[in-house]
Formats: sequence, structure tokens, C-alpha cells
Amino acid sequence: MDKLNVVGKREVMLDAWEKATGQARFTDDLSFPGMLFGKILRSPYAHAKILQVDLTQALNVPGVKDAITGRDIPKKMYGIVPMAKDEYALAIEKVRYIGDEVAAVVATSVEAAEEAILKIRVDYEELPAVFDPFEAMRPGAPILHSNVPNNVSASIRKEFGNVARAFSESDVVYEDTFETQPVNHSPLEPQAALAIVDLSGKVTLWSSTQIPFFLRRNLATTLDIPESKVRVIKPKVGGGFGQKIDLYAKDFCAAFFAMRTGKPVKFVYEREEVFTSTRQRHPMHIQLKTGMKKDGTLLAQQFKVVADGGAYNSTAPLMITLACYFIMLPYRLENLLFEGYHVYTNKPVGGAMRGHGIPQVRFAVETQLDMIAEKMGIDPLELRLKNAFLAGEPHPGKLLVQSCGFSDTLVKAAEGIEWKEKRGKLPFGRGVGLAGASFPSGVSNMSHISSGAIVKIERDGAVTLLTGAADIGQGAETVISQIVAEELGVTLEDIRITAADTEITPLDPGTFGSGVTLRAGNAAKMAALAAKEKLFEAVAEKMEVHSKDLEAKNRRIYMKDQPEKGMSLIEAIKIYQYSDRPMPIIGRGSYLPPAKEPTTLLKEDGNFSPAYSFMTQAAEVEVDTQTGKIKVLKMVASHDCGRAINPMLVEGQLEGSVVGGMGQALYEDVITDKGEVVNPSFLDYGIPTAMEVPSIVSIEVETNDPEGPFGAKESGEGTQLAPAPAIVNAIYDAIGVRFKTLPVTPEKVLEALWKK
Amino acid sequence: MKHILKLHVNGEDFEIFTEMNKTLLEVLREDLGFTGTKRGCDLGACGACTVLIDGKPYLSCLTLAIAVQGKKIVTIEGLAREGKLHPLQKAFIEKGAIQCGFCTPGMILTAKAFLDEHPYPSEEETKRAISGNICRCTGYVKIVEAILSVNENQ
Amino acid sequence: MRLPKFEYLEPRSLKKASEALTADPKGTFLLAGGTDLLVNMKHGVIQPKRLINLKAIPHLNYITEGKDGLRIGALTTLHDLASSTLVQDKYPVLGQCALEVAAYTHQVMGTLGGNLCQENRCRYYNQSVFWRSARAPCYKVGGEICHVVRKSKECHSTYRGDMAPVLIAMDAKVKLVGWMGNRTIPLKRLYTQIGKKPLSLRKGEILKEIFIPSPSGQTLYLKWRLRGTLEFPMVSLALHLEKNGEGNIDRAKVILSGLGTGPLEAFEIEKMLKGVSLDDGVIEKISNQMVKEISPMRTSIASPNYQRKMAGILLRQGLEKFKS
Repeated sequence: MDKLNVVGKREVMLDAWEKATGQARFTDDLSFPGMLFGKILRSPYAHAKILQVDLTQALNVPGVKDAITGRDIPKKMYGIVPMAKDEYALAIEKVRYIGDEVAAVVATSVEAAEEAILKIRVDYEELPAVFDPFEAMRPGAPILHSNVPNNVSASIRKEFGNVARAFSESDVVYEDTFETQPVNHSPLEPQAALAIVDLSGKVTLWSSTQIPFFLRRNLATTLDIPESKVRVIKPKVGGGFGQKIDLYAKDFCAAFFAMRTGKPVKFVYEREEVFTSTRQRHPMHIQLKTGMKKDGTLLAQQFKVVADGGAYNSTAPLMITLACYFIMLPYRLENLLFEGYHVYTNKPVGGAMRGHGIPQVRFAVETQLDMIAEKMGIDPLELRLKNAFLAGEPHPGKLLVQSCGFSDTLVKAAEGIEWKEKRGKLPFGRGVGLAGASFPSGVSNMSHISSGAIVKIERDGAVTLLTGAADIGQGAETVISQIVAEELGVTLEDIRITAADTEITPLDPGTFGSGVTLRAGNAAKMAALAAKEKLFEAVAEKMEVHSKDLEAKNRRIYMKDQPEKGMSLIEAIKIYQYSDRPMPIIGRGSYLPPAKEPTTLLKEDGNFSPAYSFMTQAAEVEVDTQTGKIKVLKMVASHDCGRAINPMLVEGQLEGSVVGGMGQALYEDVITDKGEVVNPSFLDYGIPTAMEVPSIVSIEVETNDPEGPFGAKESGEGTQLAPAPAIVNAIYDAIGVRFKTLPVTPEKVLEALWKK
Repeated sequence: MKHILKLHVNGEDFEIFTEMNKTLLEVLREDLGFTGTKRGCDLGACGACTVLIDGKPYLSCLTLAIAVQGKKIVTIEGLAREGKLHPLQKAFIEKGAIQCGFCTPGMILTAKAFLDEHPYPSEEETKRAISGNICRCTGYVKIVEAILSVNENQ
Repeated sequence: MRLPKFEYLEPRSLKKASEALTADPKGTFLLAGGTDLLVNMKHGVIQPKRLINLKAIPHLNYITEGKDGLRIGALTTLHDLASSTLVQDKYPVLGQCALEVAAYTHQVMGTLGGNLCQENRCRYYNQSVFWRSARAPCYKVGGEICHVVRKSKECHSTYRGDMAPVLIAMDAKVKLVGWMGNRTIPLKRLYTQIGKKPLSLRKGEILKEIFIPSPSGQTLYLKWRLRGTLEFPMVSLALHLEKNGEGNIDRAKVILSGLGTGPLEAFEIEKMLKGVSLDDGVIEKISNQMVKEISPMRTSIASPNYQRKMAGILLRQGLEKFKS
């Protein structure tokens, strides 16, 4: 590939300066004159009928302007997956978990709204509740949604190859059960929304969202107004990790009250609400059977996965499909039988979280691979290398894997953790482990599949870029701008970006399924190319050459083979103008990934994603054998991201994701007691702090994917698939105890050590 | 009950008529417009609301505004001087220590107070100092690097 | 979460503060660092009519050493305590312990007096108004039930302070100022061991000063929690040993936090330690005894069984440190 000037550089994030000085505006930082503040009353019952709601006393609180219950809103369900809509913005007839939305108020102050909430009288008729997915599936269990009589709201059963035959041909068959815990995304910014309504009745909503266009759609549905009457703007967003892909009551309520009162309305969640009433990583119960040849060839796997979905669907069908498909990668696995169930319980709701259904099953697979390797006397690294998927191989599920650096990531992670020197050789209490994974670079988001972009070259050489991509802190705007700058041959400073405003910027699926760089990046690259070609045409005419012989770099346009023959970008723009061509110089790009909408894969086969990233995590741990406390000493994250558009941001993605994965492995657990979250705070919920962080080595493996812009693929989300099994495998190497449930707390370690 | 509150923030004196029961966080954000101070948990367990009071890091969500009258309060907006970034701000930007940016103001101010007390800290001391400031994006690696880099060459 | 409305007082002296406190002892609360009080106010578990800001009173922030020991003003912050060279040189365990409290900002805000007077904690108590609305009010908030031990007649909320165990182990005394006059009591008597009302302060009394006698022997503090910061102790242990010339233990103090309704003294362990010389067998035997001596309730997310095990392990670790 040609030498690149902007892509591949450690450019500083475009908005870092704003964020370092306090100028960056998040949703809660915005305000309007006359703004009202809202609060939501939530259910204290895990399962109950709402008999009556009396708002009288609440409305009498000085400052209170309006109050609503589920009976006041349009009877329109919403959901991130159209086929699985099951939620009203406020509960209408019954509540299904502790934290479910019952009523809402707006007032001239937060104090008044908080006071009013406590004065709403609700008569409930308590219903039997169910907290365990297996109990929920039994006949006679309480039913959460009347249209789902067995509480299984999404399921998948897919077989690839011939699993029964493959097991009979296997030399060894292993069967184990694994369990994972609910994990909260815990973005530092709690969910917030601010709405205004203009005289034409158009609603403008600023929201801490990852997917503005899908939010617009769901909001229009729930408000029962045309989509064209809703504008969603994403200001700065303080992290999301999947939790901000859903519409929440705060979005609906802000807009609905703004429509009712004609005033600007703001809703901001408390940290507690983020824990109880948004989304969390699905806890899963996983039965896994694996058949293998004596030489370590992986022949067959059979899964039965029960995901505890909590009270509503959110992404249920998509989550269960992802779990199924990303068992097969990163290994060559011809025969797979996957049975997955998403089950309703009266608990907080599961949703997409960094890895979306896959970290749970990867924990099972990667842990069991180590167990098998040990029994068969094969080095776990060798076992993985032997079965590693290769680029271009036919895939039984018809996934089209055009680039794959999995083997490389394995080798590099192993080197980084000193696998040969350390595995099995460290003193008791110290150990190393590794685990691998693969992730899509873009999961198509239902009806919003393609990304658009517009690139405009201004008269002074500046470039205006419009993209629908939603930067939530990962640096999407920077990366897409780098792509455009590279394509146009200008510098990053020349790019002015406007993003994620449904009224101004083209459609984009949002930050979802790790598709931003690939999808929005490709669209922006196409737009830049289209604008450049217009300019080239005018320049070629003037220079009397073919436009295909021109190149743009360093703010110049010149002959590819005679770089001295050419002109500055400014001159080129002048030539364009004086050649009576229409201004402005605009290029448009629209990218439709060559992949299927994932929920169609519930029934048919096909390609899932335009590209697939591959990664290996390796860990070195130290177990205090006296107390059971585990200290992760070092993590190596090697990641095939195709090409790092911005290596500094890729490193940041890997480091953050590894630490989140470490949290899942060792510290984090949303504990419930009869459906109520016991630890809805940063004091009691164990997000890793700086004290827990090990030394982290990030290794970028570049494979230059043919579909990705400048070869780029996913980074950061897939990274969270494998830290937990890598750490658990390292714990085994350290103390010889195998953990099959997460998190591995000191208490569990101690108990295991005492038993030993 | 409302009262006249006098605060000294970022080198300026402010006099406002506001509720007595407001936290410093609420007054800074709502009455004075210093929205750089973030509300992450509102219960003192995330550090996003950290400001400097007489040079020391305080959780503004657990500080009564009325109780810090007459003290020198610095928020993230007051850290840059005459348009020049504080070295910590510069280091955070250049080292990639900022992702979503929500923890950043509190993190930088905590680090400022810490470096003022311990100009040449070890990595371990640095981690301990910022351990009450939760970051979910970066894994802290580049944050620690940025803090350690500030006085490295002096 | 907004703070409820209250009246705010900034008395200029402790005497004035005590008078104000006496006027309405139930509705008046003392504000020092605020890291405990304001959270409880936001959670609505206390609803002060009046707050008295003690930080506005001059001359209560000091660390001075006399012939007989160390005097610390109650409003001295944990950060000042840990930063004091006097403390670092002569009473290092105090500084180390202060650094174990929550994190940097809490140490800057929090005072020693406030830390000693912090409220008991429970997973059913330290929650929001909404959270608690799912259950009947418990004893601690004036209700008629304990959710931890259903048939219990009393509140099982747990003391989780860090400083008290160390100071009790060092025989600290506290000076209390009231409208009736001053009194000095051993710190351990500040704690009632009653969950609902953990402090023995009388009407109008305010903690003014902590006195620590000149150290004899050695003291250490070991704290156990999931992460290395922020959290209250799941269990913690202060161990104070005084040895005689032959290396036998003359006097032992073992004080625990996180296990009961107040700082807990392990009397049996102390008795067992008296007169012995620490060898592996003794350490083994004595730390195994710990499990039998304590019976924590499930008031946090830690399991009682694990807390008991850890208490024994911490004791073993402590004794092993003193062996060498």
C-alpha cells in the first residue's frame, strides 16, 4: 500500500482539548430558559398489576407542572429489535421488575420533582414473581408477558454439519457447565435526555445515545408522530458500551412532556437507576459438549445456552444469534449444534454490552479448551493454533472471512506473556493463561443497515464532513476524519466534522456492533473520493491529463508519476470554480455492508458481517494462597484490527476493554435479592479502579482487510471477549483450580483452596 | 430556604441567591454554569465531581456550597491560565488519556492536587491517588502515563 | 438526589455548638467532613432539621505531642493525619490506617472525629428512598423489623470504621464536650454496640479531641476488601502487642471492624495471646480460634462465613508479622 500521511498516525482525539478544559457539553450540561426537570416513579415490586395511580398529591406540590402514568401515553411498544418489541415507555397494566417505570412528573426544579414522585399513590396487586430462568421455563411459572406463555421470548436452534456423526467420530468427548453473572456497563455519564418542541410540533431531543437514528425511529413510534417530526442530536456522550443503544423512559418522557407543556424538559438518571433500570450483560448458563480427535482436531461442539433476560427483550434475538455464530470463529469447527434461549425473569433487563452475548460463551469455550488440552497432554497454545481459522477458508455458516490474523495474535500474545518460559513453570500461586476470540466489524442494525456521509470541499481548502456516526468517547469522529483527510490528501486540521444529528447528517446505524470505523469510515471514504474526483476532473482538464493519473497528498494535486507537476489544493479549487463548475464541491458516499441482517440468520445461513476481527488475550496472575485474592500482574492484548487508523486510539480501546474484562472475571456482579439490586452503587459494585490495573501490553496485528477502509476492522469491543477466560486459565496454571462460574472472587478461591 | 451565597470560583467572586441545601456541585453546574464539573454518581463514589478547594481535592457532590464560602474553589474551567493549558491537561490530551471525557475533569484536578503534594510520585502512589476516580473507558493506563509524564523532564 | 431542606448553623465555638445540639437533639446533626452524613441525607435515612458545621469552629484541627502522648483535634482531616511527619515518625500505624479509608478525596474531606462517629452500615439501610420502598422500614430507620435477621428484636447494622480499631487497640481516649461539662472516656466506651444507636454520646455532647498514649509495643492494621481502595472493610483488624524482655507477650489487643454492631474486641484471643511467645504452632492455634469468636451477620455483600475465615487469616498475618 502507498505511504499514508494521516491514517496510521497517533493523532490526538479531535475533542480532547474540549474535554480537558471542561468545554465539552454532555446532555446534562445543556439547558434552556424555562426548562422543566423530570423524575420517574419506579416499581418497588418485582411483579404486580397496577390497579390505580393517583397523581393528585404530586400535582399539588409547588413547582410541579405535569404528571403522567402509563395510561396517558400512546399504546405503542418499542424495542431495539423490531420483531421483539415488548416494552412501553411507562408500564401500562403491570410492572415486571423492581425499577420498572410507573409514572413521571416534571417540575420547575429537581427538588420539586423528587418530592412529587414520593407523593404519587399507586395501588398494586402483587403477583408471584420468578427470578430464576430455569424456574421461569417450567410449566406453571409466573408469566411475565401474556404472549409468551413459557417465558422464552427468543430462541435459536441451529445445526451446522452433522453433529451426531461428528461426536461418534470423536476420540474424546468432554462436557461441562459454566455460569456467568450480570455485569453493568457503568458508563460514567448517567443516561440523560433533553427535549424541546417548536411551533410546528417538531420535537428536538438531545440524548446520551449511541444510535441517534434508531432512537429517532423508536421515539416517533412511542410518541405516535411521524419520524420527520423528530430530530435527535447526540451531544458528547460519556461512554456507552452498549447500554445507550436502547430508548429509555427518559427519552420518551422528555419529549412527551415537552409536547404537553410546550417547555424544554430534561431527565437525568441517578446512578442507581443506571444499575436497576437500564441494561446489563445477560447472565448465562451454558452447557458445552466438545468432541475432538486424539491429535487435537476440533470436531464438534454442542451448546445449550440459557440467558437470563430479565423483564424485557431489548436485543434478545440478536444477542442469542451472536452468541451462536461467534462460537465458531476463531476456530475451524465444521459441526456445531447451538440451542439458545432468552428467558424472561422479574429482574433487571439484559441488553447489548461490549461483546453482546459472546463474552459469556467464549468464557465457556476457552476455559473448556484448556481443560481438554490438559487432559490430552497438548499445550493449550498449540491446540488453539492447530484449530485456528484461516482467511479465505470456507465457513460452515457461510461467513465470509477475507482477512484473519488469529494465529498471529495467538503467537504474539504468547510471546508477550512469555508462554514458553512461564506456563507450568512458575512457582505455586503464579500462572499464565490465554484465550482467543473473534468479533464482527459491524452488525447490521435492523432496518438501519447502511451508513452515509457527505464531504464538502470549501473555497479555502477546508473540508466539511457530515457523518451520522455517533462518537461516544471511542474517537469515531477522529478516525473518520483521518480517513477523509487521507483520501483527500489534506491534514486532519483541515477537516471540520458535524456528526450524529438526524436532521443534518446522513443515516447511520450508530455505535453498534463495532461497525463504526468500517461502515461509517467506508461511507466517508467514498464521499471524499467522490468530491476528489470532481476536483480531479477540473484539474485534469486544465493540465490536459487524465484524471486517473492524478493524486492528492499534502494539500496538493499532482501527477502520480511526476509529483512536481501539479498544484496546490487552493489553486485546484480556483480552477474548479473558474471552469464554471457548480459549487460547492460535494461528494456523497453511502455504504451498504455485504452482510445479512443478523436476525434473518436465526433461520437461514449467510454472511454476518463485512469483516471479522480476531484477538488473543494473555494473562499473568498471582494468587494469594492465604487469602484467595487474585492480582492480575500483566495482560497482553493482541488484536487483528485490520489496520490501525489511529494506533493511539486502538491502544486506548484495548486497554479499557481489557480492564472491563478483568472486572467481569474478578470483581463485578450485579447482585439481586428477590429481584432487587443489592449493590446499585460504585461503592458496592466492583468496577476496577486504578489500583487493580495490571501492566497492559497492546499488540496490533495488521491484516489489511479488503473490505475495511484502508484495511481497518473492529477494535475494542472484541477485546472484551477473552480477558475473563484468559485470567481463569491463568488462575488454573497458578493454583490448579478450575473455575466455571464468574466472577472468581477471593471467597471462591479460598473455598476451593481449602477443599483441595 | 434561599440565601445569598458568596463563592470564590476560578479567581472570581460570585454572589447568588439560591437554596441553602444545595451541594457545591449543584451550585457550580446550575447557578454558575461551570458544567465542566460532572455528576457521575452523586454519592461520592466516582470522583467525577472533584474540584479543588484551597488546593485540595473535594467531592463537590458531598460538599455544601454554603460551607465553602470564602474558600478558593477551582474547577476544570479555571485550570488553564491565560489561554495556556495546565501541563496536566496537555499531557492528558497528548497521551490519549481522554476517551469519553466524563471522568477527565475530576481526574485532572485530583492529579493536580496530588502532584502539588508529591511532584515526583511513583506509579503505585499515582494509582492510589486517583483510585477514587472511576474511569470506564481507558483502563487508566494512559491516565497514569500522562500524570507521571508531567514532571518527568524537570 | 437532592438534599432535604435544613437549617444551617456555623457556631464559633464548641460550647455554642453543644447548646444548639441540646436544643433539639433528635433533629440536629453535626457536619464535619460530610462524606458519611451527606450520603445518608441523600438516601433519606436521616432527615436533619438542622445541621451544625463543626468545620467552621477554629482550633479543632491540630496534632500535638505532649509527654504522655498524642493529642489530635477531632476536626483534623485524615489526610492531615497521614501527612503529619510527627505521626509518620512516632505513630506510623495511624497514618497508614488513615490512608486505608476510602480514597484521596475522602481523606481530604473526612475528619478523624467524623470517622470515629460514622454511622453503622447495612445493605438494607444504606440505600435510596426508592430502594427501601420495596420493603417495610427497618429498625434503623425507625421501623419494626430487621431484614438481616428476620426474627430479631434489634438492629444488626454494622460498624465499618477504619480508625476506631487501631485507636482502641492503642488505648485511645476521647474528650467529649457538652453543655453539662467535659468528660474523657476510653474510646471503646464511645461505642454502645447497639445497632440503632451506635454512639454513647449524651445529649449535646460533641467529640473534641482524641488522645493516644505514648506507644508501648507495636500496633498494626490489616484491612480486607475486594478492591484496593474506596470500599469499607469487609473485615479489618487492629493488633497491638507488647512483649517483655524474653519475647513473651505481656499484653495484647485485638480489635475488629466490619463484624458487629460496634468495633469488636476479641477477648478470648487476647487472653490466649497473653504470656505466649509467638511460634508457628501458637499462631496456628490462636488464629483458628478467631472463627469461633465472631458471628457476623449478612449486612453487606460479603458472606458471614467468608468474613469469619478472613478474620482468622488477618490475625494469622498480623501475628506472623510480629513474630519476626
